[in-house]
Amino acid sequence: MHLNLPVKAVRVGFVVASFAGFSGVVLYAWLWALVSEVSPGSARDAANRQREVGGPIASSAEAEAEAKAEVEATSTRIRADLLAGAFLVAAGAVLLASQAGWVWVRPGLVLPLLIVTSGAVIAYAQFDEVDRARWFARTGVGTRSAALRLALGVLLVVLGVLLLVVQEADFLLLGRTLLAAVAVLVGVAVVLAPWAVRMWRDLDAERGARAREAERADIAAHLHDSVLQTLALIQRRSHDGAEVVRLARAQERDLRGWLYGAADADPTTMAARVAELAAEAEDVHGAVVEVVTVGDRPVNDRMASLLAALREAVVNAARHAESPVRVYVESSPDGVEAFVRDRGPGFDLADVPEDRLGVRESIIGRMERHGGSARVRSAPGEGTEVRLLLPDREEEQ
Amino acid sequence: MRVVIVDDHRVFRSGVRAELGPAVADGRLDIVGEAGDVEEAVAVVAHTRPDVVLLDVHLPGGTVRPGGREVLTRSASLLVGVPARADSPDLAMVRFLALSVSDAAEDVIAVIRAGARGYVTKSITGEELVAAVLKVADGDAVFSPRLAGFVLDAFGTGAGEVAVVDDELDRLSAREREVMRLIARGYAYKEVARELFISVKTVETHVSAVLRKLQLSSRHELTRWAADRRLL
Repeated sequence: MHLNLPVKAVRVGFVVASFAGFSGVVLYAWLWALVSEVSPGSARDAANRQREVGGPIASSAEAEAEAKAEVEATSTRIRADLLAGAFLVAAGAVLLASQAGWVWVRPGLVLPLLIVTSGAVIAYAQFDEVDRARWFARTGVGTRSAALRLALGVLLVVLGVLLLVVQEADFLLLGRTLLAAVAVLVGVAVVLAPWAVRMWRDLDAERGARAREAERADIAAHLHDSVLQTLALIQRRSHDGAEVVRLARAQERDLRGWLYGAADADPTTMAARVAELAAEAEDVHGAVVEVVTVGDRPVNDRMASLLAALREAVVNAARHAESPVRVYVESSPDGVEAFVRDRGPGFDLADVPEDRLGVRESIIGRMERHGGSARVRSAPGEGTEVRLLLPDREEEQ
Repeated sequence: MRVVIVDDHRVFRSGVRAELGPAVADGRLDIVGEAGDVEEAVAVVAHTRPDVVLLDVHLPGGTVRPGGREVLTRSASLLVGVPARADSPDLAMVRFLALSVSDAAEDVIAVIRAGARGYVTKSITGEELVAAVLKVADGDAVFSPRLAGFVLDAFGTGAGEVAVVDDELDRLSAREREVMRLIARGYAYKEVARELFISVKTVETHVSAVLRKLQLSSRHELTRWAADRRLL
């Protein structure tokens, strides 16, 4: 049913071949070998090639019903199947004709030939072009069924050749011939083994080199897009100290994220959002913001309000402090606690005019509206620390 | 205090020299050697037997990554006290302070577990660096805010795990956790002490205890965390 032939023809061929006795078994084995060769890999390959071939390939109703992956058979594969199927049908026809007495064939010649061909088809047909390339590139015996089929194919070919060569000989001669053949094979294997192993290693080394080369190219591309561009910018703006610091800091952050994998982190979680708002404050205010996060959690609405308050606190600190601003955010099972600390001049909260919205509204007010709290601790000369606390609510757990 | 600077960038080594300059001038520090890769570092450290080695985490040479870890493992015999001179009975110990731009937790934890007494980032100011070197030479541990954050994460402290007994290796005690959190928030030891109403000496004791746990703990998270990053 995978041969892309009319089912009737296949069945007729099978029946006909069964008349020829032994070849029916061969045909059965052949069918078994060709059916069901859809590993996930080959299905994917087939899907890829499908795009190149363009358009789905017509197939029988049974095939469609059986598996969608099977429908997307490769053109190569189908050509091989068609060829083999046509050959078998022809062979069956010849045998039938011979039995009917229309044509005279030497069964001793046809049968072995049939066996040899079947063996070759079994061993060969399962490798479509990709598989074949893989076969020559690697061990190839990836799956057990592939190995089994190969063994069966080789066995059939050997059997067929033996039958062909020694049809009229006695068993003693057959035994000797077998021995000689095996000896020759072993000899050849011994001679070729070191060469094969070396070729194998070379291939391996070359693949490794290619992978390294790809990685190097990847790094070079990234450095070019980021670091080299920034360095060029810095050279052009070398008169503007603050700008140079800002550029260098932004580049450092970017490179760190790339090198230490923070870039692959889920951008929607707390830690990523905190890093993002700190980066923003650095960019806008040219300050250094050091972030330490412990634990992580997804961001919900309440969490978003804490982040908004945190942003306000970080921006405030970045604006007024000259030394690094330190941000510490800890997510624990009970809630989230965040600290923003700077060593700036500090201030007295009582001195902050009522109309200054920054601290009162954006930080304290916002936290209290969402069931959290905010505390500002500051003394002139001691720097400032803002503490935000957002306990998890009962119903959320 | 005799100091060796190990870093593969000459520019950075001279930068550190310059930052330590004032301390060298007033006799607190003496820079006795420099090294640029793993082999050189092992040789220089074994030869000069300094009090403190400023060790870059990422070093070329050697076979183990990060290179700083290999320097530590190959200098392991010096991490316990050795006679400073053949004729002197008192034991001198080489202590390592990791100095890195790396933010990668696994690299930092690797050098700490290999025996470094602390970790500071390269953005540290000269004054702070001198203080850190002196502290390490005194046998104290030096934790940067970032390292404190790693420790809290690795010991599951954020997840609310607290040791009941102080000397439990796999968890931090409540007090150690408090100290680590304050350090992560950017507090200096002195400020931590004032905040918790304890002496600076007590803070140092707690920090050293945390360092010991970090080095000895077989805590499964710590192990798994490291194994995930192919450390052990």
